[in-house]
Amino acid sequence: MNLRPSTILLCLGFLSMPLANSRPAHATLGEKADSVEKDRKALSGVKTTEKASRTNYKIQEITSAATTLREFLTPDGVVFAVAWNGLAHPDLSTLLGRFDQEYKNAKKQLPRKHGQSRSAVKGDHVVVETWGHMRNLQGRAYVPALVPEEVNLDEIR
Amino acid sequence: MRYDNFICALLLAFAVVMAGCGGGGGGQKAAPPPPPTPTNANVMAITVNGALCSAATSANFINKPCVSVTICNPGSTTCQTINDILLDTGSYGLRIFKQAIPNLTLPQVSSGSGSLAECTQFADLSSLWGPIQMASVQLGGETAVQIPIQVIDASFATRPSQCSSAAADPVSAGFTGVLGVGVFAQDCGPGCASSVVNGIYFTCTGANCTGTTVPLVTQVQNPVPSLSQDNNGLIVQIPSVPVGGVSSLTGSLLLGIGTQQNNTLSATALLPTDPSGDFTTVFNGVTSRGFIDSGSNGLFIPDVDRADLPVCSNPDWYCPPTTVTLSATMIGNGGSPSVPVPFNVSNFNTLLSTSKSVFSDISGPSTFGFDWGLPFFMGRNVFVGIEGKAGLGTTGPYIGF
Repeated sequence: MNLRPSTILLCLGFLSMPLANSRPAHATLGEKADSVEKDRKALSGVKTTEKASRTNYKIQEITSAATTLREFLTPDGVVFAVAWNGLAHPDLSTLLGRFDQEYKNAKKQLPRKHGQSRSAVKGDHVVVETWGHMRNLQGRAYVPALVPEEVNLDEIR
Repeated sequence: MRYDNFICALLLAFAVVMAGCGGGGGGQKAAPPPPPTPTNANVMAITVNGALCSAATSANFINKPCVSVTICNPGSTTCQTINDILLDTGSYGLRIFKQAIPNLTLPQVSSGSGSLAECTQFADLSSLWGPIQMASVQLGGETAVQIPIQVIDASFATRPSQCSSAAADPVSAGFTGVLGVGVFAQDCGPGCASSVVNGIYFTCTGANCTGTTVPLVTQVQNPVPSLSQDNNGLIVQIPSVPVGGVSSLTGSLLLGIGTQQNNTLSATALLPTDPSGDFTTVFNGVTSRGFIDSGSNGLFIPDVDRADLPVCSNPDWYCPPTTVTLSATMIGNGGSPSVPVPFNVSNFNTLLSTSKSVFSDISGPSTFGFDWGLPFFMGRNVFVGIEGKAGLGTTGPYIGF
């Protein structure tokens, strides 16, 4: 993927617009996220803040009325994980990008379960886990191969 | 209520006798007892995998608490009583499959020039889609209330992407309806009133649906705070279940807290919740958020690498070789009270290989926080205090037991 990061974000923003103006566009797993300032210009109505900077990764937070989304970036700016909490789950197909089909296939293989306030779907390259209850839905998705060394998965929240 | 207690005592005695018989004894399975007929207006019967649960929707659904709700066309005597409604303290509002109410014609709630519809998302990524309609809802013997409910109908207009895999029928959902009676009065709250919260409420014109804001009054309502009395909360009473489980169980849902003779009970623990309905739970030295959820069928605990808690071949559950007794501490929002809660975990595979369906000792790992599912409710009076309503000397949201 040699597209400029800002191009990806802008494209995502435009794709989302016909549905609703305030729909938050999300960076996509495995792709690059742009700087805070470029994000803010590209995503109207969405507040993006740099949340934390660790030695081996950075967290960028995007808030909307529905959901707070945290993107976990490698030092190179590649999104290796996303985590969310809020009133609704984010649109996973946007979030997972090229891993979406793999996720959907893996989900189909799982037996039907009832009475579970959570899910865990593991594909060959991507893991999606959710938890919570109405008005506080949570989840995370990550690409294990992209997670920098020494990052504890418990930090992806 | 005396009759209820008598039935409960009988059930318990039966369970103890059965447990004493040891495993492997004959494959006879007692037919579930009929639910008691509640005599007080504020009492609803609960059966866990019993007569109020539909066999068709309950396959592979252990620890399923069911109630019955009567729904009428507003201002009419055309009514239907629907069983197999999942009692869910982890959601808010009533949702019923369209297939279950063929005799009713409920007025559609409008939104702008369109019809209001909702994509209800759950934590397991399952979803329910359908229009919001006004219904006259009767809980137990209480006076009916007219409130917006969701009529589950995957074929309504065009499903948004968030509801692309919405349940099509009761069998795939595992229930005919859901009665959400958690601590909040609406299923979305102020967020959906002030902003278009994508993925929840939609206005539909013809087949075309777009996200919309919805005032609190036309959001799907938890029926309990709408009642004319007994509206400050509820008490879930489910008898205790011995290690090893029982086939089915009968309990009661008492509407109101301290509003009648039968619901004036004391709670030994009263925990305020945070604005999400959660509180703190500490287990194995790890602090996380927790919530009570009668719609979760086990205790799901932050994964701990404990030698005495191996996961089963099915990684959703724990399979310790022998039953282990553990304890977690619930802490109210704000830091108090701090209440230790013991629980048992038995081998899930062994339990599942019996003919039982109701277990107090099943648990599995959680990636996030502590989900106090149905086993927590067994052997307790669990209080659910509705937001903004006074009860037990405090104001909701709170939980107690």
